[in-house]
Amino acid sequence: MTAEYPLDPEAATGRVLDGHLHLLDRQVHDVASVPVTAVSDLELSDVDSIENIAPGTPAPEIVALLSGSVLGTRIFGGRPPPSRLQRIAWSAVDQVGVVIRLAVKGETLDATWSERWVRDHIIGRIPGGRHDPE
Amino acid sequence: MKRIFAVALGILTAIGGFLDIGDMVTNAVVGSRFGLSLAWVVVLGVGGICVFAQMSGRVAAVSGRATFELIRERLGPRAALANLCASFLINLMTVTAEIGGVALALELASSVSYLLWVPFAGLAVWLVVWRVKFSVLENVTGLLGLSLIGFAVALFLLDPPWLDLGRQALQQVEFSEEQTTTYWYYAIALFGAAMTPYEVFFFSSGAVEEGWKSTDLNQSRANVIVGFPLGGVLSIALAGCAAVVLLPQAIQVSTLGQLMLPMAVAAGKLLVAIVLLGVVAATFGAALETTLSSGYTLAQFFGWSWGKFRRPIQAARFHLVMIVVVIIGMGVLFTGVDPVLVTELSVVFSAIALPLTYIPILIIANDPQYMGRMVNGRVTGVVAVCYLGVILAASLAAIPLMIITGAGQ
Repeated sequence: MTAEYPLDPEAATGRVLDGHLHLLDRQVHDVASVPVTAVSDLELSDVDSIENIAPGTPAPEIVALLSGSVLGTRIFGGRPPPSRLQRIAWSAVDQVGVVIRLAVKGETLDATWSERWVRDHIIGRIPGGRHDPE
Repeated sequence: MKRIFAVALGILTAIGGFLDIGDMVTNAVVGSRFGLSLAWVVVLGVGGICVFAQMSGRVAAVSGRATFELIRERLGPRAALANLCASFLINLMTVTAEIGGVALALELASSVSYLLWVPFAGLAVWLVVWRVKFSVLENVTGLLGLSLIGFAVALFLLDPPWLDLGRQALQQVEFSEEQTTTYWYYAIALFGAAMTPYEVFFFSSGAVEEGWKSTDLNQSRANVIVGFPLGGVLSIALAGCAAVVLLPQAIQVSTLGQLMLPMAVAAGKLLVAIVLLGVVAATFGAALETTLSSGYTLAQFFGWSWGKFRRPIQAARFHLVMIVVVIIGMGVLFTGVDPVLVTELSVVFSAIALPLTYIPILIIANDPQYMGRMVNGRVTGVVAVCYLGVILAASLAAIPLMIITGAGQ
């Protein structure tokens, strides 16, 4: 069954999300249920050093879902410079279920730039590309 | 009435949809060398594709997610990427084989070299993928593919010694000049041809394309469980024709023309023409399915927008992948490589890659988090695990057998 879990703060109390299980490599849909990307990595708020975390330090928070070239570095190692990350701000996330649903249109996101480029430069220029299939 | 029609249509398209160039070439080759002694593999393979195709349809209908999205989600990016590379390459090989098959069939019909037909076949495949609705492309090619019933008609008209055929199938008559390793090599090829992994990608993505709900599952199950076995019967009939006409003459099938000889012997030009129509339709249909599958796998892995229910501009990268795949397939054929050879290799590589597709499907179909009440029952579970054993054995044995037999020489 497609269990949908609302993420609004009141309803979500007690709901534990496992980043690996529920977020990484999940499909992301935009507000109109159009696929946007798959989550390739997560961006967390800064923790100064991993080794010595002082007691009482607030836990890191998820800042953004990442996609694009970060998939390559996740598989083969390394990390892309922060300027090259394609981010989807966590605040844009509406629901986390069998897919991650956004509250915004995919059109406006960095993550879909290659889709827009291919559409505008190649597919949109081939006759029939803008019509419904018959 | 409308419902009966819908069920009948589904079953008929499944019959045509089961057969592709891989099934036809492998069955004809096997029939001409081993008679019907490998018919049991077709039965085994049909059972397997029934179990796993309806499972992948069920996963897609219940979760609304197609296979490759789930493969990445469950196996993680590394294993999924390795899986994607293997599946995509084998799929590309199958696209090449199918386009080559269409061109070869047109060459037989027109006496114009297949190389000249390749661009037309490729262009036609792309045009249909570009402009035609999913349901139309599925139904038209499936229904025209039904003329492959000519295989069964030919076998009856040949009026073979049925007892001998039965003895070949059931008593495993020895063929003195053939090695045991060759026998098993072709067993794996037949198994790979029947269970081609692209069927699963196509089936699960097709379920999303057509917006199946859990309530549509009974119909899809009927299509698969009646349609695929009937397709399997046609494969065995083709092997039977080859066994009756070609085996005694020691003609080993290496061209599509030889595959058609039994039809010509049985009923002359008319049956050849009808069967040729079926061959073109079935291979064209399979070319569409494999082209779409290559787009599906890549788009689903990366989370792109995909699907024929969208306009091309709404799934731009998906359509670009398919254009590139068709162009590469045509390019490979233009090198002059024998399409029949590509086909024979593609079914064996399919057999090698079977576990990559079928293990993740099974894992997900067993997972109540995705499937809820529709999770695999005990019977399906046991049958699927048994098949998994067979699939793993075939996959592991394929490469050693390929080397020992020199690819079935």
